[in-house]
Amino acid sequence: MYKLLRKELKLSASPLSYLFIAFGLMTLLPGYPILVGAFFISFGIFQSFQTAREANDIQYSALLPISKADVVRSKFAFSIFIEMCGFSVMTIMTVLRMTVLADSAVYRNNALMNANLIFLGFALLIFGCFNAIFICGFFKTAYYYGKPFVLYILVAFIIIGIAETLHHIPGLEAVNAFGFDNISLQLAGLISGAALYVLFTLIALKKSIKRFEVVDL
Amino acid sequence: MNIAEIRNLSKKYPAFSLKDISFNLKNGRITGFIGRNGAGKTTTIKCMLNLVHPDSGEISYFGLPLKGNESEIKQRIGYSNGTINYYPRKKLSDIIAVTKSFYSNWDDTACHEYLKLFNLDLNKTPSELSEGMKVKVNLLLALSHRAEILILDEPTSGLDPFSRNELLEIFIMLKERGTAIFFSTHITSDLEKCADDIIYIHDGKLIAAMQKEEFMKELGQSGETLEETMLRLERSSRDV
Repeated sequence: MYKLLRKELKLSASPLSYLFIAFGLMTLLPGYPILVGAFFISFGIFQSFQTAREANDIQYSALLPISKADVVRSKFAFSIFIEMCGFSVMTIMTVLRMTVLADSAVYRNNALMNANLIFLGFALLIFGCFNAIFICGFFKTAYYYGKPFVLYILVAFIIIGIAETLHHIPGLEAVNAFGFDNISLQLAGLISGAALYVLFTLIALKKSIKRFEVVDL
Repeated sequence: MNIAEIRNLSKKYPAFSLKDISFNLKNGRITGFIGRNGAGKTTTIKCMLNLVHPDSGEISYFGLPLKGNESEIKQRIGYSNGTINYYPRKKLSDIIAVTKSFYSNWDDTACHEYLKLFNLDLNKTPSELSEGMKVKVNLLLALSHRAEILILDEPTSGLDPFSRNELLEIFIMLKERGTAIFFSTHITSDLEKCADDIIYIHDGKLIAAMQKEEFMKELGQSGETLEETMLRLERSSRDV
């Protein structure tokens, strides 16, 4: 797997994938729908899929002494790597907002979603949707990426919309907890997001391998 | 010894069908794969590499079916589809370094020898190379992992006569080492120079798979060159 990831990082990846990891810093923006940061990170990964297609990467990979399933695994490994880099940046920023910046007025008087563990759970859900909708959709043809990406954008922004709305619904204010308030609810949100991320990614990987196996290159 | 066995290969497209193609490739022999554009040469080669899925038929290498043994078989196969058409903006040194890491049999000495022979600059990117030089990069990758069989789709097209001649000499040298070489080409003079066997397909059907001398005896007319025989066969099938 290391060789496959190295191939992705060295030959296939667009520099934008690395650059867009910095959108994790958007977590610090007050008065901004911070979950959009997760979308931008996935948009960076999308750039690599574009670059790879222009560079005939799939054909090159299919001719290496690896199975077709490994070609799919390498794309997932790369996407998960970038997602986890972005998620780490988001996590550090969230911890900052939950601790030293917990009482900062700009965040306290913020009508939009607060950065807490539930926010991180939603970010993982968005990454999971990227893997399940975009990557899995791409491997239907291993060539066309427009339709799966548009579908992913729709779903991602619906999730962002729901996440931004939830805490405005009476009785659900705790979703927007500050610092370590309602920590068990926050943890439950993070764990649910992580579980969905793992589930969506595993299903997407399995389905993509099956789809790519029958694609003629 | 048969290095590759292709049995009853068929693939149907809306406007073209590959029908029941069968042939063997033996070690230490150079096999020329001929047929006009659209005859099914590239489809056959793509099926042989699992890039295209045949509707029916069996493909095996070294006695192992391709299905289920793809990684192991590809370690022992070298493939080139003409010019290098991937990673146009990456340095050759990076492409070679990554490719090398996947092959357990990669031969650095051979790689350097071919780099020198083909006059390739590792700091260049494919986009900076001429078509002929791109062919050489692909050949370098195919030749540097001590492949037991080389499958080459139009390896000599785009090469200047000197490079073509050098390449044919390399083929002969590799053949003497026991490597099987299977290459499709339109340049029949290349086959006259080095091929031992000829596989000829027309409109997706196998017309002949035999030794070159036998091919000329059965299908050629006296005094004809291989090119003249091919042209006559193609013309007669068009007139039918």
